[in-house]
Amino acid sequence: MSLKVTRRKFLQTASLAAASVPLAKVVSAENGFVRKPFTPPGSSAGTTTVTGGICEMCFWRCQLVGKVRDKKLVKLEGNPKSIDNGTAICARGNAGIKLLYDPDRLKYPMKNVGERGNPKWKRISWEEALDECAAKLKAVEEKYGPHGIAMFPHGASAKYPMHFFERAVGTHNVSEASFFQCRGIRDTAYVSTFNTAPGEHVDMANAKAILLIGCHFGENVHVSHLKRYLKGLENGAKLVVVDPRYSASAAKSDIWVQIKPGTDTAFLLAIMNYLIENNKYDKKFVAAHCDGFEEFQKGISHASLDWAAQICDIPASQIKEVAELLAANAPNVSIHPGRHVSWHGNDFQRLRAHACLTALLGAIGVKGGFVKPKGPKVKGISWAKGHHDGAHNLKEMADKYHFAPPGTPTELIRDACITGKPYPIKGCVIWGQNPMQTIPKPQKTVEALKQMDFVMCVDVMPTDITMYADILLPEASYLERYDYIKKGTQWNFADKHEQFISARMPLVEAMFERKDEVWITNELAKRMGHADKIPVNSLEEKVEKELASAGLSIAQLKKEDGIHIQPGKDPYGVSEDFEVLLYNEDIEDSGYPGVPTYIPVEEVPKGFARLVYGRSPVHTFNRSQNNVWLYNAMPVNPVWLNDESANKMGLKDGDEVSMVNSEGVKSTFTSVVKVTPGIRKDTVYMAHGYGSKNPMLTVGKGAGIDDQALITKIAIDPETGCSGMRNNFVKLVKSGKALDIPA
Amino acid sequence: MDSENHSITLPEIYRFLAQSMHYPDPEWMNADFIQFLNAFLQELHWTDEADTLNTALKSSDNFLEDIQIEHTRLFINAVPHVAAPPYASVYFKGDGTLYGNIAEKTKQFYREKGFYLSKEDDLPDHIVYELEFLALLENTDKTGAQEFLEDLFRPWFTLFYSKVTKEARHPYYRVMMKLIDFFTREEL
Ligand code: SF4
Repeated sequence: MSLKVTRRKFLQTASLAAASVPLAKVVSAENGFVRKPFTPPGSSAGTTTVTGGICEMCFWRCQLVGKVRDKKLVKLEGNPKSIDNGTAICARGNAGIKLLYDPDRLKYPMKNVGERGNPKWKRISWEEALDECAAKLKAVEEKYGPHGIAMFPHGASAKYPMHFFERAVGTHNVSEASFFQCRGIRDTAYVSTFNTAPGEHVDMANAKAILLIGCHFGENVHVSHLKRYLKGLENGAKLVVVDPRYSASAAKSDIWVQIKPGTDTAFLLAIMNYLIENNKYDKKFVAAHCDGFEEFQKGISHASLDWAAQICDIPASQIKEVAELLAANAPNVSIHPGRHVSWHGNDFQRLRAHACLTALLGAIGVKGGFVKPKGPKVKGISWAKGHHDGAHNLKEMADKYHFAPPGTPTELIRDACITGKPYPIKGCVIWGQNPMQTIPKPQKTVEALKQMDFVMCVDVMPTDITMYADILLPEASYLERYDYIKKGTQWNFADKHEQFISARMPLVEAMFERKDEVWITNELAKRMGHADKIPVNSLEEKVEKELASAGLSIAQLKKEDGIHIQPGKDPYGVSEDFEVLLYNEDIEDSGYPGVPTYIPVEEVPKGFARLVYGRSPVHTFNRSQNNVWLYNAMPVNPVWLNDESANKMGLKDGDEVSMVNSEGVKSTFTSVVKVTPGIRKDTVYMAHGYGSKNPMLTVGKGAGIDDQALITKIAIDPETGCSGMRNNFVKLVKSGKALDIPA
Repeated sequence: MDSENHSITLPEIYRFLAQSMHYPDPEWMNADFIQFLNAFLQELHWTDEADTLNTALKSSDNFLEDIQIEHTRLFINAVPHVAAPPYASVYFKGDGTLYGNIAEKTKQFYREKGFYLSKEDDLPDHIVYELEFLALLENTDKTGAQEFLEDLFRPWFTLFYSKVTKEARHPYYRVMMKLIDFFTREEL
C-alpha cells in the first residue's frame, strides 16, 4: 500500500461525500466520560482499608482486608482482627490480586461456535446465554429425566447451584472433587468410627507428639493450621513423619519413616497391635468409649512388627520406636487425619486405622488430641430439599460404595455417560471444578463430555475443562462478591476461648459482566420452571439472612471491621456417650472388612517408579497456575528422583525430562529433575496441578508436567467409590528416550 | 454533524476509531458502518485495505459473526489464549496484568483534564476509552491531546498494534489498527 495522502492533507480535504452516510449515523452519540472540574484528591488520595474479605485462593478461607486505592485493589493483608489467621496470609493469598486482574480471566458469557475441545468462542449477551442453557438443560430433563443431568461443582460458589440441581431439579448425579478425589474417604471413615467427620481438628498446638502420615506441612500451607503445627513444635512436641520423601515436614521430624507407598495401613496396624500386646493403650478410654475391642484385637493380631516391617520396607525397630513414642506421650498426641487422602484405592481402611489409633491412645477431647472446636452456630440458606426418591441413584442401583461421601462417585457418572447404562446422562454443568485436572484418566472425561447434548461451565478462569463447554459463563471472583460465612474459634485452644463469625464481602466491584452464583442460578431456575422455589433473590440477601440467624447483619459486621467476636466455650472433654467403633458391624455386613485391614496395592513393575504427587506452597493445584506472581515463584514442578538412581540413569539435577507411564501415556510437557537422596528409589514425586493444556491461559499453559494425564489407572476405593490416584508407574524420558528406573 | 458537506475533523475520526473497537454489535456494525469505512479508506487512497475488507465481506456467510468471533479471540478470551488484551497496562510498565500503574496514571490524566469515567469501576486504559478521550480533548486542549498521545497512548499502542497485526486472522482489525496508528502517530 502506498500512503498517497498524508494525515494533514486528509484532514484538510477529505469530505467523505461518497459515503452518503453521515458520521453521526455510524458513531454512537454516547461516550464513557462525564465532564467535571478536576478536584485534587487531597487526603482521600490515599489507600482505604476495606474489611470483609475472605480468601479463596485455597479452601482454608483466611480473613482478609483489602487496600483499595481509587477503586483499584492494590494489596491484600490478613485482617488484624482475625483470631484465626491473624495478620498472616500466604503467598497465594497475597497473589489473589493477580487473579483479580488476570487478563485471561473470563469476562463475558461466551458461546462455542466451534466444537467441544476445540472451541471457537463468541461473546454473547447474558440473556442469550441463559436462555440457551435453560432450554438445553430443560430439553435433557424432559427427554431423559432430571438424572440425565450431571454436575461437577467445586468451591464456595458452587454450593448454591449444586443444591439447585440436586434438590429442585432432582438429580443425584453430583460429584464434588473435594469428596471423591480428596477428603471424602477420611470423612466417611471417621464417621464410621467416631460418628463425626474429623476436619483437620487435631490440637497440634498443645500436643506432646504429632504423627503425620503423608501430610507435608510447609509445602501444604493453610495459615491457622500451620500456626497450630508450628506452635506445637515450638512447644517441644515430638514429630513423626511417615513419607517416602524427605518433605518439608520430614525435615523437621524426630523420626522420619521412609515408608513404601501404599503400605501405611500395615504400619498403623502394627503400631496398634504392639500397643495392645504390650498393654500400652488407654484401657480406661477403651473401656469407657470403644465398641468391638475383642474383634478388633483379634482382627489385627497378625500385624507384628516384623510383618509390617517387611511390607512397609522399613526397620521393625523403627515401627516400635514410633509406637513407644506415641504411647509415652499419650493421650496428648495428634494423629492427623490428613486431608487429601485418595491415594491407592485402599484408603477407607487406612483412615479407619487413623481413627482407631487415636482412640487406642485415648487422644480424644484432651490437650493435643482430636478436639473439635466449639464454634458459633449460623444457619445456612439454600434450596429446600425436594421429595426425590432414590430411584435413579447410581450408587444404589449398583449396590456399591456403601460408605461413599455425599453425591455420586465420579466413576459411576462417567461410566453411565459412556455406556448409556443404566441410563443416559446427556447434560452437564461444571461449576468451578476442573475435572480434567481432578479426575484420573482425563481421556474418559473427554469421552463422557463429547457424548453430551449440552455442556455448560461457570468459572473465573479458562481452565482446561472450559474448552469442552458449549456455553461458558464468567463468575465474579471471591474478591468481588458476597458469599461464604466463615466461622470458628481462636486458633490455639490454650488461649482465651472465643468464637468468630465473618462473611465474605466484596472488596471491589465485579468488572466486565461477571456475575455471582445466586444471580446465575436464579436466572436459570426461572427459565427452567423453578421460580417458585427460589430461596433468596440475591447473594447479599442470602448472607444477610444467614447472619440474621446469629443475630448479626452485614452492616453490623462492617461496623466490627468484618469480624464479630464473642465469648467461646472450652472445647476439651468427651461426652459420656461418645462411641468409637473399633470393629464396625455395618461395614462388615456390607461386605468389607469390619476391622481395619491392610489391602496390598499393585507392586511397581521393573524399570518404573510409582508416581506420587503433593502440594506446592505457592500453588493451589491447578487453580493458580496462570497467576503471574505464583508462576514466577515456582514455574515448573521438579521431578524428585533418588540420587543413586539418577546416577545410574545418567541424569543430573536440572536435566529436562518428560514422562511416560506404564500404559504408554506420555506427558505433554516437560519439567526438570531434582536429584536427591530424600526419596525412595521406587518412587518419583512432583507437585500436582501443573501442565495446563488450555491455550487460553497465557502464563500457565504448558508449564511443568501434567501428572494428572499420567494417572490413567483408576483405583477405586471399594467402600467409598473415591478415586485412588497413586497407583500409576512412570519412566522418565530424556531426549526422546524412556529411561529405566533402577530398583 | 453533516459529514457530506464539511471535511472530517480529527475528533470525529477519533470517535469513529473508538467506535470501531467496541464489541461488534449489529446496532453499529452494519451496512452503514461498512459503507462509511469503505468511503473513508477510499478517501485515504487505501485501496488495498478496502479491497481486502470487501473480499472478506463478500466471501462470508455471516460477516458480523466473523468479526464477533475475531473480537472475542483477540480481545476477550479464546484459543490460542486472549491474543491481545486492549489495555495499556498489559503492555506497558507492568507485569502483563490488568489495572497496572499505567492504568491509574491514565485515569489521573483524564481527571486532570476534567473528564471522569462514567463507570467509575471500569478499567480506564481500554483502547476505546483512550480514543474517546482523545476525541474529547482534541476539541478543547490540543496540547493536552498531544501530551496524552506521546506519554500514555503511543508507548503501549505500538506494542498492541504489532500484536494484533501478528495475531489477527480477519482483515478488519488489521485495517483498524493501521488506521489508528495512522491517526495517532507523530507525523513527520
Ligand atoms: S492459606 Fe493462603 S491461600 Fe489459603 S485461604 Fe489462607 S491466605 Fe488464602
